[in-house]
Amino acid sequence: MAVSQTRNLGLPLINLLRLKGVPILQQLHLEERLLRTSSDNWCIINDGTIDPTIVMGISGKPQELLEIESILRDDIPVIRRFTGGGTVIVDQGTIFVTFICNKDAVPGLQSYPQPIMSWSSLLYKKVFQGIEISGFARMIDYASCTAVVLSDYVLGDRKFGGNAQSITKNRWVHHTSFLWDYEISNMGYLKLPKRAPEYRQARDHLEFICRMKDYISRSSFIDRTIEAVGSEFLLRSAELEDAHCTLGSKFEPSSRLLRKQELGEAIFKSLTASQS
Amino acid sequence: MICRKIYQKNPWSFSQWWRCVYSATVPPSSVADAAARSSSFEMGSLSRVQATIFTNPRTLFFLSNRYEGNALSTSFGIKGCKFTSQTMADLPIGGVVDVPLAQTGEGIAECELLKWFVQEVRDQVEEFQPLCEVQSDKATIEITSRYTGKVLKFLHVPGNIVKVGETLLKMVVDENAFSNQCFEASEVMKVQGSNVSELDVVDLGLRKAKIGGVLATPAVRNFVKQLGVNIEDVHGTGKEGRVLKEDVLSYAASEGILKESSASSAEQYLQGDQKFSDISSAHGWEYEDKTIPVRGFQRAMVKSMTLAAKIPHFHYVDEINCNALVELKASFQKENSDSGVKHTFLPVLIKSLSMALSKYPLLNSCFSDELQEVTLKGSHNIGIAMATPHGLVVPNIKKVQSLSILEITKELSRLQELALANKLSSDDISGGTITLSNIGAIGGKFGSPLINVPEVSIIAMGRIQKIPQFDEDGNVYPASIMTVNIGADHRVLDGATVARFCNEWKLFIEKPELLMLHMR
Repeated sequence: MAVSQTRNLGLPLINLLRLKGVPILQQLHLEERLLRTSSDNWCIINDGTIDPTIVMGISGKPQELLEIESILRDDIPVIRRFTGGGTVIVDQGTIFVTFICNKDAVPGLQSYPQPIMSWSSLLYKKVFQGIEISGFARMIDYASCTAVVLSDYVLGDRKFGGNAQSITKNRWVHHTSFLWDYEISNMGYLKLPKRAPEYRQARDHLEFICRMKDYISRSSFIDRTIEAVGSEFLLRSAELEDAHCTLGSKFEPSSRLLRKQELGEAIFKSLTASQS
Repeated sequence: MICRKIYQKNPWSFSQWWRCVYSATVPPSSVADAAARSSSFEMGSLSRVQATIFTNPRTLFFLSNRYEGNALSTSFGIKGCKFTSQTMADLPIGGVVDVPLAQTGEGIAECELLKWFVQEVRDQVEEFQPLCEVQSDKATIEITSRYTGKVLKFLHVPGNIVKVGETLLKMVVDENAFSNQCFEASEVMKVQGSNVSELDVVDLGLRKAKIGGVLATPAVRNFVKQLGVNIEDVHGTGKEGRVLKEDVLSYAASEGILKESSASSAEQYLQGDQKFSDISSAHGWEYEDKTIPVRGFQRAMVKSMTLAAKIPHFHYVDEINCNALVELKASFQKENSDSGVKHTFLPVLIKSLSMALSKYPLLNSCFSDELQEVTLKGSHNIGIAMATPHGLVVPNIKKVQSLSILEITKELSRLQELALANKLSSDDISGGTITLSNIGAIGGKFGSPLINVPEVSIIAMGRIQKIPQFDEDGNVYPASIMTVNIGADHRVLDGATVARFCNEWKLFIEKPELLMLHMR
């Protein structure tokens, strides 16, 4: 007992919030609230969300990224989140891991996108250590012999987790949605994005992503992630109520559900654009 | 005052202050570099300034003037403030600054402006107050202000793509903001999160230099010099005993150096000075020429390209069908059990190149003009052009003829990591016999490459593009086509040799199974 305490001295404190099946919009609202109104470090793990939902980045244009007609027909909710990045479709097979930290929580970490991604990829490397996985490495584009910016978590050259960040004056959030499992049919709602990292090489979704469940069990992934976090922070278990307690009352989250009307307008925009 | 005391003890210790001072606006390395430079007042390593020019244009001015006093007497012809040529004493403001989009992380060249946090012209902005939110790739980032002042003009609207270094908005900086500055780092360290307007910020541009124990701007110092007055005799009425222009004027008047009635001539003096005070408060550097001495990798490039210019080049262009190559790579990756290895096209291209060279050794040779002889090199040391943040570098893989594709893959990755870290040894970059340039990975269909002296040929590969092709039966099928351009020394090689060599290489790429025929 004394030994482990000594080991933990000097590590920054982080509140670990374990959730299961929380709707992604609620999670995003919580994250944004914690980013802007809390001064603690948080690690949120949400084990699956209930309904399949599409989550776009802050400046995503629906007409370019989504098959809107199928989405409207099948009544799939579309959310625009408060961080940048691309579009994902999440469901019960998705595991979410989010870090919300103060600028100086991790010693030596500069709060810019690349260093943060670098830090988190090292953390996840620990999670996959020992498991027979190919190519979980820094995204260096060997063909060009230049380092491309770190972008996705890959096994080999297939993406298994998408991530995004938001960096404010004193804090940052880095959240990831891991594809533990996914429905092939769901991927049909997403178009091929115009802006894609080099390694994607114009592959469509099914050739581009892979399932984490082929390599690791759900509980094992979550346990190992918590263990990895515990090696860099002092963990303190938190409950959802704790998160709400620390929050200020006047806060309006910016992640929101897009209304059907907006999606309809987006189709119209894309049609008129192609006609002109 | 604490300021002065610490200054005298340890004037140039800037170790970690930058982190406190600059939030998302200035990347640490550039400011630390700037700090190191200012401490020696030298121009050195201006190659690094290249990257930082956008973040801190003021630094350039500082660097280009070795002599702190005299520098200001040269005229810059810079667009300074838009104010009348009144003395600084009359106006409570400083000048106009351009606030650029600073570097937000390596490799990011542009960001999308998402929203402004200040809405109107003339809105007050405090130092470290968030100015706007931008999005770069996956991150939304708050950009905070370096200055205290008022918004003068917005140069972008939300939705615009702003390149790193481009001006986001123009601000009128408060005079008070300047008078609060001195070079003391420790003051800065204390102020994290506290009252920002009283923060002493270190700005390595033209802030009031506290040298010789008296606080005053370089403009004021120059004026003092021109008047032949000793600045230490002047009683400063500015903040912390700062000597302002009106202090000098009143001192000079009281000493009879300048009669009060000849204030107009003093104004003329000061008109000249106004330019300097403009410099000290504003900057229109963007129209100035920037001189960068050639260093490091760029210097090597100058040397080798000057030599290459002497070679009579000819270029041979061909297209290669990479369908088989794409399948091969996929198959390698599928069977890959080593997590440290990532399979790409390049190793196969390198190995097949080596096979072709075995049949056409003239392309792997070296020409000596003085001795008028061609040396056919025994080893295939294939150089790979790499674009690193430090510049173009061409390390080579030695003895490719004896290496397996897997070994080539590992060696390539080793060289690349070293190149990125700028840790290549001289052995890594010398002894090459032929060069491959995969410029296509960055862009372009094909290039016309220049030979890497003393080699006799170089191969530039364009991007692999999927285009429709006809097969033997006249049916259209999708083909991944790569254009290559072989640059060759016409003193050693002729078109026919290069064409045959290229056909041989092409054959190995389009039918990689033929490599097995030569397997030992």
